[in-house]
Amino acid sequence: MKFVIEHLSKSFEKKEVLKDISFTFDEGKIYGLLGRNGAGKTTLFNCLNRDIKTDSGSFYIDTDGVRREVTPDDIGYVLSTPTVPEFLTGREFLKFFMDINEKSIVNPKSIDEYFDEMSIDPEDRDKLLKDYSHGMKNKMQMLINIIAQPNILLLDEPLTSLDVVVAEEMKQLLRSLKQNRITIFSTHIMDLALDLCDEIVLLHHGELEVVEKTNLDSKEFKDKIIAALREEENE
Amino acid sequence: MNKTFKISFSLKNTYRVNGILFSLKQIPLLKRLLPTTLYRVKGLKIFANILSILWEIVSTFLVKFLYVFILVCGVGVLYKELPENGVFLHILLFLTIIGSFTNTNLFNPTKDKYYAMILMRMDAREYTLVNYIYYILKVVIGFLPFTVLFGMNRGVPLWFCLLLPLCIAGMKLFVAAITLWDYEKRGFGYNENKLSKYVWGAIALLLAVAYGLPALGFVLPTVVSMVVFFACIPLGAAGMTKVLNFRDYRAINQELLSDLTNQMDSTAQTQRIKQANEKKISADTSITSNRRGFEYLNELFIKRHRKILWNSTKKISYVCTFLIIGILMAAFLSPDLKPKINEIVITWLPYFVFIMYMLNRGTNFTQALFMNCDHSLLTYSFYKQPKFILRLFQIRLREIMKINAVPALVIGIGLALILYVTGGTNNPLNYVVLIVSILCMSLFFSIHYLTIYYLLQPYNAGTEMKSGTYKIILWATYFVCFYIMRLRMPILIFGVMTIVFCVLYSIVASILVYRLAPKTFRIRI
Repeated sequence: MKFVIEHLSKSFEKKEVLKDISFTFDEGKIYGLLGRNGAGKTTLFNCLNRDIKTDSGSFYIDTDGVRREVTPDDIGYVLSTPTVPEFLTGREFLKFFMDINEKSIVNPKSIDEYFDEMSIDPEDRDKLLKDYSHGMKNKMQMLINIIAQPNILLLDEPLTSLDVVVAEEMKQLLRSLKQNRITIFSTHIMDLALDLCDEIVLLHHGELEVVEKTNLDSKEFKDKIIAALREEENE
Repeated sequence: MNKTFKISFSLKNTYRVNGILFSLKQIPLLKRLLPTTLYRVKGLKIFANILSILWEIVSTFLVKFLYVFILVCGVGVLYKELPENGVFLHILLFLTIIGSFTNTNLFNPTKDKYYAMILMRMDAREYTLVNYIYYILKVVIGFLPFTVLFGMNRGVPLWFCLLLPLCIAGMKLFVAAITLWDYEKRGFGYNENKLSKYVWGAIALLLAVAYGLPALGFVLPTVVSMVVFFACIPLGAAGMTKVLNFRDYRAINQELLSDLTNQMDSTAQTQRIKQANEKKISADTSITSNRRGFEYLNELFIKRHRKILWNSTKKISYVCTFLIIGILMAAFLSPDLKPKINEIVITWLPYFVFIMYMLNRGTNFTQALFMNCDHSLLTYSFYKQPKFILRLFQIRLREIMKINAVPALVIGIGLALILYVTGGTNNPLNYVVLIVSILCMSLFFSIHYLTIYYLLQPYNAGTEMKSGTYKIILWATYFVCFYIMRLRMPILIFGVMTIVFCVLYSIVASILVYRLAPKTFRIRI
């Protein structure tokens, strides 16, 4: 499976945020999306998730040469600020989600098994989500996004505000999930990107570009990334 | 001093100008025409600047003109038996006393103060004094033409009319000085927008003295008013020295503006709205649901928001029942009222559009829906699948209709009863039309609010209201209902028109939602 973006562009009034993006993502890899503030990372995700209309271009899933449209259940989108329906308990949210997606969830497990996997404590499972801590909300959001096994997982700065333990758990989780899907992970933290991701992709000048790591140690690789991002200023 | 004045004036001007430009940018159609670089277009800036300066001049005089013309003279004319000059000075004196602590400028937390002293860290004492002196000058100059014009008209001698503005300013200065002195003694920071109940009591008392006493045929003798006013000049001079010598303006303003600091931060503001909405969620752990899928979601939502949805609708229904019984009792006790009531019921149906508008819980419902439910769920792609959006729309429409139908039925049946008891009508169809049309109005508002919510989804991820169109439609709804209230039409004509309109609207709205909502029901970016 490949996820292909072709000639995607998006402008806000006169500002061209994404111009003519073409890129192919391969299954089984975690892509680290780096870009400076305002480079358009979130805009790109919003376009892929169809939260905003694109001006032109298309994206599709290519399975052994057969193209098809990307449907909402192909995509899981985890936001940096976790949002969960505050009036439900963790268990109710999960039940609701599984109810309405029962056809698309392959090999469903019991609700408590899912909670165990995310290490959410039994006493928290029946609390209203509005009383969850930030980290727990984040786990809930992640859980909902991975149960349905989406083909493409978009993560917008998901680990930035988590404590070290939860962040480590999440990293492990993402690594364990990367088979059979495409994970695109946007972040500002270079070390995190280098540690977790298989490929580093830069978003600058409104275009996507892979940074090749060939034969570089991590220091040199970092310098190369910074240099590439800085280039922008000199134009 | 001069520089401080210039800076503070241009600061105030800049934000007024930007405010004007910002609001232009909120108007749906104009929004597209205006460039993002709007704020640097010279011509627009100059235009807005002229508006701003004109406003400064107009506000100096216009407000004082209206004040003297309406509150002092206009009301004063009503007391015909009393001496004109006595009434004029009596009312002016007591209103001036009220104004001296409710319109101080010094203790009014305004945005310009916040920008200048908190954000720009201007020298608090200098900034405050410069602006305060400017304010006092505006009081003197602004009042002068009108105390002369209206005072002489009321028989107050010219020399005293000329002194009156100074007396008013003097009273303000004197009270300001006392407040500052009080701050030094007790550390109490006065805020004219947050008055204690004692101060409100004092205002009520003074108003009663200002307007009530003359109604009872009593005013202060002209000489007494004049002496009190006159005393304000030396007192004001003493106050001025205090104001000029006071040191702790920064501390006073920090305290005064502390609330603004939170309000000005729009994310903190929206955060508060969000939290306020979360508080509406019932923490009752016994609430559960046996349903599945969206019915499950909906039932839990309704049950956990019972307080804001069903409880208020119940209260409204009780009050309506109570009022209807009251009217029925009145009709029984004094039968001569009957024809009058009967006539009202028959011709006042348009009035109920406004009443139904006021009673409708639609906006509460959609706000809670967004803040506590859709705000989060709309970030999940599964929730945005067209079939799910429409399924949930149906369920929600059913719920909001149920909630609003209860008071509507109470009112409809109650009105029909009143009509029957007070003499009935020659056309029995009137009863049916009455009940059905009131029910239709309630259904209309339910559909209306939910439809515009689904079609415009006005909030962004930070729960800020972003849609100008949405606001305009809400306002338009209000105005239309308000104007319909003035119509007087027989039940049959208006009722049938209402029913036809509501049915048509519902059909159109449903079609629009089915066609468009899967695309429009999104978090605003």
